[in-house]
Amino acid sequence: MSIIEVKVPDIGDFSDVPVIGIMVAPGDEVQEEDGLVELESDKATMEVPSPAAGKVKEIKVATGDSVSEGSLILVLEAGETSAPVEAPHPEGVQEPEAKAPEAVAPAPVSANGSTAAGQLAPVDETGFARAHASPSVRAFARELGVDLAEIVGKGRNGRILREDVTACFKTAAEAAAPQAGMGIPPIPTVDFSKFGEVEDVEMPRIKKISGPALHRSWLNIPHVTHNEEADITEIDQYRKELDSVAKEQGYRVTLLSFLIKASVSALRTHWEVNSSIHPDGDKLIRKHFYHVGFAADTPNGLMVPVIKEADRKGIIDISKELGELSSKARDGKLKSEDMQGASFTISSLGGIGGTSFTPIVNAPEVAILGVTRSKMAPVWDGEAFQPRNMLPLSLSYDHRAIDGALAARFCATLKHLLGDVRRIIL
Amino acid sequence: MAVTEIKVPDIGDFSDVPVIGIMVAAGDTVEKEDPLIELESDKATMEVPSPVAGTVVELKVVEGDKVSEGSLILTIETAGDAANTSQPAADATSPTRNEQVKPVIADDHADMLVLGSGPGGYTAAFRAADLGLETVLVERYSSLGGVCLNVGCIPSKALLHAAKVITEAEDMTHAGVNFGKPKVDVDALHDWKESVVKKLTGGLSGLAKGRKVQVVEGVGSFEGPNMLAVQTSDGVRKISFDQCVIAAGSEPVKLPFIPHDDDRVIDSTGALELDGVPKRLLVLGGGIIGLEMACVYDALGSKITVVELMDQLIPGADKDIVRPLHKRIEKRYEKILLKTKVTAVEAEKKGLKVTFEGEGGRFEDRFDKILVAVGRTPNGKTIGADKANVAVDERGFVPVDNQMRTNQPHIFAIGDIVGQPMLAHKAVHEGKVAAEVAAGRRRAFDARVIPSVAYTDPEVAWVGMTENEAKASGKKIGKGVFPWAASGRSLSLGRSEGMTKVLFDEEDDRVIGAGIVGPNAGDLIAEVALAIEMGADATDLGHTIHPHPTLSETVNFAAEMFEGTITDLMPPKKRT
Repeated sequence: MSIIEVKVPDIGDFSDVPVIGIMVAPGDEVQEEDGLVELESDKATMEVPSPAAGKVKEIKVATGDSVSEGSLILVLEAGETSAPVEAPHPEGVQEPEAKAPEAVAPAPVSANGSTAAGQLAPVDETGFARAHASPSVRAFARELGVDLAEIVGKGRNGRILREDVTACFKTAAEAAAPQAGMGIPPIPTVDFSKFGEVEDVEMPRIKKISGPALHRSWLNIPHVTHNEEADITEIDQYRKELDSVAKEQGYRVTLLSFLIKASVSALRTHWEVNSSIHPDGDKLIRKHFYHVGFAADTPNGLMVPVIKEADRKGIIDISKELGELSSKARDGKLKSEDMQGASFTISSLGGIGGTSFTPIVNAPEVAILGVTRSKMAPVWDGEAFQPRNMLPLSLSYDHRAIDGALAARFCATLKHLLGDVRRIIL
Repeated sequence: MAVTEIKVPDIGDFSDVPVIGIMVAAGDTVEKEDPLIELESDKATMEVPSPVAGTVVELKVVEGDKVSEGSLILTIETAGDAANTSQPAADATSPTRNEQVKPVIADDHADMLVLGSGPGGYTAAFRAADLGLETVLVERYSSLGGVCLNVGCIPSKALLHAAKVITEAEDMTHAGVNFGKPKVDVDALHDWKESVVKKLTGGLSGLAKGRKVQVVEGVGSFEGPNMLAVQTSDGVRKISFDQCVIAAGSEPVKLPFIPHDDDRVIDSTGALELDGVPKRLLVLGGGIIGLEMACVYDALGSKITVVELMDQLIPGADKDIVRPLHKRIEKRYEKILLKTKVTAVEAEKKGLKVTFEGEGGRFEDRFDKILVAVGRTPNGKTIGADKANVAVDERGFVPVDNQMRTNQPHIFAIGDIVGQPMLAHKAVHEGKVAAEVAAGRRRAFDARVIPSVAYTDPEVAWVGMTENEAKASGKKIGKGVFPWAASGRSLSLGRSEGMTKVLFDEEDDRVIGAGIVGPNAGDLIAEVALAIEMGADATDLGHTIHPHPTLSETVNFAAEMFEGTITDLMPPKKRT
């Protein structure tokens, strides 16, 4: 028997994430890898597994607590034997009995609903505590659920006034109630069973999460799609050479690696495409890093893992990483840090088909490159038609950050780079 | 065999979340921790695991239903440990389990139950009642008001007033006014102090009645998450509640090497009893409580020795603010021992033999009484919190969130029992927050500063950031210091040692803290507290016209010292 303090392991870039569930109670027997608590980051929920088998002695966090890497979660009494189901003598069953009241414990408070009614809207508490606002304005903001951290006050020295809180609340309320005024009219519900047999099929979880994000981007971003064609005859030749070597070593070199590499070069030339719009609305945030996300089709839905620092990696490294991330995505093993930080995204349907499409920008990025299937086409070289392997490119962009000419230049640069493998290396 | 009702456990801040999946059907056998249903909040989906092993009897929810913590999900017939369904074991468990499922009959029910009637507790109870909740207030003593009214703030202030009259009369001999030596009738003084306390506690009972708050006298202890048992003079009374505020306070720390059962060893409560005036009094602890009582007994004629472990009196405040107090009492008292600890106390017939250990080594002395004022310890471990599944930390504090909720969302805790500083005005504010949240209002503890005051002579008060804290955090601060030697009002009170220090954020000149020492410093600090809460800057304080001649002007002058616009003194630097 030994006492183990279980702490929050490396959870990526997150700190102060809330504990949203505690899955064990003092006295519980746990096996190694059993979930102990559930944490929630802004992208995913994750369970902290038990590092060892044993008995929970004491829980040091409560639901709602914020924790970071290294925070103490609970104390475990590790047993040499991992809680075997013991013979049916009475002591063996004493324990679950003792826990029974806890299981049914939670109080029927919400009967009168008041506890839930007093619930605060989630705000940036640190920012809220620093906001330049008087006690009455702070109380008013709590009442309306307005986050003072997000308001720039119109009073002297940026003091947040009561009117600022009201204005912020109105804007939020209008955004939340699209039916009102000029909002989007809802699509009427139809009883399809009138027309034939139907069944409801649950959407996969990822789709449920990505849906609202896509909708948000679609509604907020003025989208334009620019189409272009790149001659990849030579680059594809080179790719095949690399791929045949790679195959023997257990990975593949796909066109996506070249597209990532070429995109990074084009992004260097046209930095705006690699930017984000500042929340103030009057600035662009220039990013001096090149993390390229790629849309991966998985059985659970669309996921976008990210190749970090693609500008510092070669075709081979990128190809290997693509392979690893894709298989993690398929197995549902991507960590949230694998999906964060992208400054540009590529969505390739080349393996399936198509001639062009309109990808949705992955906000707060400002552009996304869509790629469909390449095909041999006759291209006039000035004297005769030549058979060339042509790849359709579809760049959707946020027109607030990028105008049409820039998008056209970016695509032209990309086309130029893809035209000759030597240029990508430059 | 027993049927267990499975309810939605604590799912964090969510309520009315939809059931998006049901993973079991009636008749299914489930193991402990098997998922039963899936819920979806706006951020995540979560599974509700089975707390027990058994067979599902009946489902009480369907997909799409909205549930909150405590909603009934389904019933399970438990069969002991599912892994070993041996008959004798199952039989052995069933009677107890039945008992636990059976509801306990309560003698009374409250929408809101408040445990403890100190300033935080009665505030929470009264506010809750005013917001429409049927409220029961449980208090172990016969009079309301807790430590503050009965054996703390109020009686000590009454005695300090007497002390002030005595010492001020004494001081006026220099000005040609001589009252002669005062005759103090200690019993009469005690009665007068009691009459002050009675007025206030009596007023509280009236206020409780006026609000129809039911007061139950007795020691309360939790029996379950919605049940409190009160040990009253007529036996145990059980009160069930929907929501609860724990306001059970704190008590003086006792030290293992001190014979606390000896009459001559007293705590703050004993000191306020005024059971005679000892010739030589040792005050153990140079904090606020110890120094206030030292002040009283000094005025009444005791020879005082103060012993403190740290290198300054009132260790929470900046040294420069404490220095004038230190200087004054150094002259009046027998001894002030800093960086010194008491290692042993022996009760002898002639007195209490105390062994000290300081920088100068070990020494002994004998006192007639010892006042132990080394701090207070929270009462979290004495209220049966575990029965209500309320978490209590190892020191006895009950952790709460910024809405004063404990880990049980329907149970709140406020005041000394939730943490430092243990001050009545903090408890009062927290009591209001808890009551309003319980009544469904969206409120939080959003106060930024809590002022502290030592009602010594001179008074020491501070609020917000101290210089010590600023230094430790590396924050750049500006400082405006105004010595009261330049205040006409202070000099006309016959006092010149005071000082007002206001601290500003170097970046935007906003007021972030202050320390004031001098007569009435405790009253003056309130203005700075308001300035901090309002986000006022140096100019705001400097451009507010303060009445002349008052001590309140010193706050205005301190801001002007920082700004360089002062004219009553030479400005320390030119800024504007």
